[in-house]
Amino acid sequence: MQARLDRLMELAARSVARRTSRRGFLGSFAMALTGVAALPLLPVRRGAVAEAAEAPKPAAAAAGGATAKAPPKIVTDPNACEYWKYCAIDGFLCACCGGTSSTCPPGTEPSPITWIGTCQNPNDGRDYLVSYNDCCGKTTCGACTCVRNEGEKPMYRMSLNNDVNWCMTNDNPNYHCSVSVILGVAQQ
Amino acid sequence: MRLGRFCAALAACLPAVVLATTTPPPLAPEHIGVEKLPARSAHWAYLLDVSWNNYIDERVYVYDGDAGRLLGMMDLGYYGNFAESPDGKTSALAATYWSRGSHGTRTEVLEWIDNQTLKPRGELVLPAKRAQVGAITPFNLAYSADGRFLYSTNLTPTASVSVVDVAKNAAVAEIDTDGCVQAIPSALHRFSAICENGRLLTVTLDETGQEAARALSEPFFDVDADPVFVQAVPTPTGLTFISFLGDVHAVDLSGAAPRFDAVWSVTSGKDRGRWRPGSQQMLAFNAPLHRLYVLMHRGGPGSHKDAASEIWVFDVASHQRVARWPLHVAAHGGAIAVLATRDAQPLLYVATEKSALLVLDARSGRVLHTEAKLGQSLWYMQNP
Repeated sequence: MQARLDRLMELAARSVARRTSRRGFLGSFAMALTGVAALPLLPVRRGAVAEAAEAPKPAAAAAGGATAKAPPKIVTDPNACEYWKYCAIDGFLCACCGGTSSTCPPGTEPSPITWIGTCQNPNDGRDYLVSYNDCCGKTTCGACTCVRNEGEKPMYRMSLNNDVNWCMTNDNPNYHCSVSVILGVAQQ
Repeated sequence: MRLGRFCAALAACLPAVVLATTTPPPLAPEHIGVEKLPARSAHWAYLLDVSWNNYIDERVYVYDGDAGRLLGMMDLGYYGNFAESPDGKTSALAATYWSRGSHGTRTEVLEWIDNQTLKPRGELVLPAKRAQVGAITPFNLAYSADGRFLYSTNLTPTASVSVVDVAKNAAVAEIDTDGCVQAIPSALHRFSAICENGRLLTVTLDETGQEAARALSEPFFDVDADPVFVQAVPTPTGLTFISFLGDVHAVDLSGAAPRFDAVWSVTSGKDRGRWRPGSQQMLAFNAPLHRLYVLMHRGGPGSHKDAASEIWVFDVASHQRVARWPLHVAAHGGAIAVLATRDAQPLLYVATEKSALLVLDARSGRVLHTEAKLGQSLWYMQNP
């Protein structure tokens, strides 16, 4: 895993360099084809850049309700959209389609390019980099639609976008479902 | 006894008598035929259904909001893009098909649909690089103002625009847009694309469809602090974007270079950050009434695709909110797409997450017609 993270840091550094050039965007995607997506915001937690400053207060406090609120129940079911790794997923959960939260269903192919999220694991309090690969080659699975968008950006910031078809470079770009693959702990 | 027999006979006859006097003649044999579309109306809408649970089967419905009636349908394939020619005679549909339904040989094809018959009347096979994007806008596939060229966006993920000469039925150029996405048409033969750094790239074509010039604008929004949705709404002079927090960025594309109006916001005070625009097609505009319609929901960061519980209506001249229309979410689900017709007595189409379609009076918000369920996932609507 350490080697993989080192590789990610190297890619991130390269992406900074690339963004200074006219062809930076294309360069970063040529890089993404190596198997993991470009990480232009690494290692900042998704959504923390600006929106945290204007985040609304919790509903109870805002409404003048009880101040001591029970901590939210931790969802451990990878078939549930609320599962922590899915914080920026948009599609069908492969765990409900014959795969798992990190593997594709039989007969499909993982996308080699992805979008990247940073999700906090409530079990250990750590932020993890998560790669949201699509599984490709069959029509949409149709089970467990899950749309969450923490830190997601519109398609002009493509590496943080979950609207484009990330199966686009597969031999068969038919979108089936999405997985979330832990890449490592995000640097704070 | 005689009287009794007479009465019995009468009773037996009575049904026949009644039958003879009240039953209409039998129905005439029917002859199967094919309906023709009635004359077009400004109150029609094209409804793009992405068929979320079986994405290879997208379609475009043609709907009459006055009659509350589905008029017909066009097949759209997989990750399809839709555009109507400026003269209204043709719909261009760009989509992916496979020879075995969901697999086999892949074909990217641009089909020309006759808008009177809703039948394909020609096609152009495109390179296997067409942009397949879930955020559907009028700018994934767009005609030039004079209808001569059609701009078809590509993503491999290198971004480019294929320029199709409509009369020649041929792709005559591919313009590298340097990572900038979409093709927003302006002037005769010019389009703009949105860039990662918040700028617009504007490309001007020559008479043959080749790139003649390109220019990059100043940034007009902050991608990190408050990005704009790509689902902008066309206006008479350009288009209007809205940001995740509700800032309105109107862009005038009528000149040689884009001009950015002063930013104003649909949220202020305690509403800002608590109420947000969002979902699939969150903006609608009606020029005669100067009205901007925004799908709004209560939510925090990351809620920008949540369905709306209310429609907020703004006067774009005064920037004042003139109405706030709550939606019957329990019955229909939240709203995911909104479209205003272009006329001065406009209708407002509202599609919901439960596949309902509501047709409202766009002046009063009164619901004129409700389709409890139409199709599966109406993510985008467009005026004829």
